Amino acid sequence: MDKDLEQRFISQLEKHQNIVHKVCRIYTSGQDEHSDLFQEITIQLWKAFPNFRGDAKFSTWMYRVALNTAITLYRKSKRSVRGDSHEYVLNNLKYHEYNDEEEQQLKLMYDAIKQLSDVEKALIFLFLEDKSYREISETMGITEVNARVKMNRIKSKLRTILNP
Amino acid sequence: MDEFELLKKDWKKRETSLPKLSYEDIYAMILKKSSSNVKWIFIISFAEMLIGLPLLFYTPDETEHLNYLFIDILTYASYPICIYFVYRFYKNYKKISATSSVRGLIDSIIRARKTVKHYIIFNLSIMFVISVYASVATYIEESGGWTAYKQLSAPTDHLVLIALTILATLLIIGLAIGFYLLLYGFLLRRLHKNYKELKKIEV
Repeated sequence: MDKDLEQRFISQLEKHQNIVHKVCRIYTSGQDEHSDLFQEITIQLWKAFPNFRGDAKFSTWMYRVALNTAITLYRKSKRSVRGDSHEYVLNNLKYHEYNDEEEQQLKLMYDAIKQLSDVEKALIFLFLEDKSYREISETMGITEVNARVKMNRIKSKLRTILNP
Repeated sequence: MDEFELLKKDWKKRETSLPKLSYEDIYAMILKKSSSNVKWIFIISFAEMLIGLPLLFYTPDETEHLNYLFIDILTYASYPICIYFVYRFYKNYKKISATSSVRGLIDSIIRARKTVKHYIIFNLSIMFVISVYASVATYIEESGGWTAYKQLSAPTDHLVLIALTILATLLIIGLAIGFYLLLYGFLLRRLHKNYKELKKIEV
């Protein structure tokens, strides 16, 4: 019984691990922090898995637990502000497909996101994941209207950071 | 294109560069509970050392006159070794937190269990020596000292001495084993369970 639960959990997480990696990418800078947070989220997911009733999609549930972990648990324990943030995010992909101007803009935008609060990061993350406002509201536990308002505020906040 | 749409497109593109963990990697992560067991081993041993420290310098009034120099030397000498063990426990904990591969975890668990076993064997041997020495020394002291004992003792006295020594030592060692089983046995068993699980996925 226990074994079965474990197997189901690991296969599901293996399949959807990208979600967790992307959450780590938004919240951490550097390989070590990434692995740290990934592990923390995995443990939280595993702890919460017995209560996952299956009335939501596994991936939706994962978004929720992963973001909650990043916002609440990870924040308290360790967070070092290091200067390597944008190199870490950006090194993984070269910008062949973009022209210089676009590349520069993307770089600035990722840097701007790093300056947002943890909750704001969660919202912009869900936006980047192309989630609908209904899905965002479900994941974050807020109303759809509230999600819309918050998202607009975050976008204009990002614009302000980019063009002070 | 809107700057946020551009960002979204870029974000999507970056998915290809995400790390990819295997089933085993994730499994090992869940089993990382091992690291918290090893952490507790370190914490308990450290607490044990802290409690032991004042006892080391404290001699009860009743035994003051007995003045067991040998025991003093033994306990003082064993102290650095205890500190060394606590240090090893700490190293084990650090090491197990840093590994995530299945093989690495197996090795760390084996090492952690071995250190605990050595630690317990070491402590029990020290207690054994102290208890034998103290029993004999106390008995002789109570019979009026070594010279008096040598002159006056009958063969039955020797038998009583041996019996008392064995009894006292058994009692002390028994208590100590119970104490250690309680403290570390539980953690060791959990580590062993994790070890067996890991072994299964490794083959």
